[in-house]
Amino acid sequence: MSGGSAWQGNWKVRLHERVRELGYDSLTAFANARPAVPLLALADELGEDDVAGVQVLSELLAEAERSHQVTRLMRDVLVRELSECLPDGWPAVLDDANRFKVAMALGSWAAFAPETHEQRADQVSDALLATPPPPGWRPLGPDDELLLTLLPDEEV
Amino acid sequence: MTSTQWVLLAMALLSTGCASLPSQGRGMNLRYTQHEATTPALADVAEAAGGALPRDAARPVQPGLAQTRQALLGAILHVSASTRRLSSELSRLEASKAGIAGPPTIFIPFVHEGLEHLRWIDAELAAATRLAHTASEVEDPDMQRALLRLAGPRLQSALLGSMLLAAWVDFLHLADVVLERCPYYSVERLFIRMHRLQRLMEPSMKALASLEPGQVEAAAKDLPALMGHLTGEFHSTREEVRTAAERYEQMWVVKDLIDLLTTASVMKVALPRLAASAVPATLGVDLVAGSDGVMMGTRVVVSAEWVETMRQLVRAGVLSLPAVSAAVRIEAGQVLLAEAHDELPKGVREALGDGPEVRAMRVTDRAGAGMAEPPEHHVLPREFREWFEQRGFTGEMSIDQFCVRMQRADHEAIHGGGDWRMGRKWPGEWNRMIMKALHKAETDAGRMLTPSEVLKVVAYRMRLYKLPMNFTPWRGP
Repeated sequence: MSGGSAWQGNWKVRLHERVRELGYDSLTAFANARPAVPLLALADELGEDDVAGVQVLSELLAEAERSHQVTRLMRDVLVRELSECLPDGWPAVLDDANRFKVAMALGSWAAFAPETHEQRADQVSDALLATPPPPGWRPLGPDDELLLTLLPDEEV
Repeated sequence: MTSTQWVLLAMALLSTGCASLPSQGRGMNLRYTQHEATTPALADVAEAAGGALPRDAARPVQPGLAQTRQALLGAILHVSASTRRLSSELSRLEASKAGIAGPPTIFIPFVHEGLEHLRWIDAELAAATRLAHTASEVEDPDMQRALLRLAGPRLQSALLGSMLLAAWVDFLHLADVVLERCPYYSVERLFIRMHRLQRLMEPSMKALASLEPGQVEAAAKDLPALMGHLTGEFHSTREEVRTAAERYEQMWVVKDLIDLLTTASVMKVALPRLAASAVPATLGVDLVAGSDGVMMGTRVVVSAEWVETMRQLVRAGVLSLPAVSAAVRIEAGQVLLAEAHDELPKGVREALGDGPEVRAMRVTDRAGAGMAEPPEHHVLPREFREWFEQRGFTGEMSIDQFCVRMQRADHEAIHGGGDWRMGRKWPGEWNRMIMKALHKAETDAGRMLTPSEVLKVVAYRMRLYKLPMNFTPWRGP
């Protein structure tokens, strides 16, 4: 684990430089080429020592706001969080331990939601817990059918 | 200093019944110093190498976590066995109406003092045990290691404190025998002596109980010398009692008792050497690490098993080498100290886990000599202290234990995203995000989170921010 060098210097400049070095013209394009890959892994690919997952998230959000695709990004990030916290897919039985795992994934995702999307994020988690997806459900990207139903695009 | 000088010096010190060291540290806030015997030749002793607790998880030295945890629990058990013995001895003494607990009642506070020390030592052992158990419940390896490292300083203080307490209990036993069986030995003299020893021990005990790394380290470095001095005092008191008994032709009454005391004493190793004046020339240089453990001549000072436990804990950054070294030097008897006061022989140090990597950890841990360490910052936001307390974050798990050192600019960045003017409006702001993640996880789990679940969430957040999982206690207001 890094000694905190992710926060030294101008991290935004560093992050976008790395994206360009890898041949992408935006961070979103870089992320889109890696659907369902957790934020931690995206950050490590951009800079194992000096790029943090939350920085990737925050810049993805900035790009999504500019292109009016925040809702899509929210689905995209939920997919990444589920892949991080529930690598084997949605649990078959929601016992206490599994319920915590799900809660941790949804909580982590909700914490990423910008103010404009907080309420919708809460509704999505409530819906997922009230009517659980089939066991083993593992969305592969922001265009997952169930997620599109729960969190459809509104923006134009 | 040549070996001949060492021998002469050792003999000079021993002939005064004292093998303690003059003050030699810079900037140490606690020093045990023996006033009667300071030796200029020793005043220029270089400060012992290293000493800060190795704590950085980013280093290559990372023994298996399960092994480290087992080693920690093993070491805790080891110290607990000795505190249990001390506890039963103190209880016996507290009830010794014909001896130390009887009239005149001026001696009983000495026993109570011992019980007080026993209480904090046991409390730290219990806290270290709880931390080890919590560590086993979090999956994140860095968080596990961080928790084991929080337990380390508590174990270390308890280990050294129990050694000092054992010496104190020896004096209580001696006083008990004298009061019960030796009416011809002056009670006043005994009282004054005990009182003086109590005052000598007190600063070290306080420093160890404080858990403050600088103070503990200084106390650890001084402890072998203090134990050496206590051994000298024990020896001379015992000899005085013996002489007094002989004068009253009652030798047969006390001789066996005193011999028995000595055999059970923590100081038994060093005592015979004190008595034999010409011994030091051959001692001290032969402390070696072998397959049986650390040996002095043919005697096992500490067992191979103990060495292995310590090696793992030192290499994992749970215990500090200075503390472990102090324990070994005490076990070896203080005669050794006159010759190799601050450092164990290289081979022994290496057996205990010292190595280039561990030394490197210490150097980087100090943020460079003379440089101020970056300030601590709470990982679990202070404005939600009560929320965390309700979920078990009290005592050794208090949110004040979970601080990370960060440079000001880095700290501002995680709260403001690199643009300080944005402050907490930045979507990635640490406090807002961690609390949101925790509150939401609780709502969705449908119950309060356990401490280890909270730490799982925290570990993940720390990874997302690439913060070093390397906790240091809060020392601010």
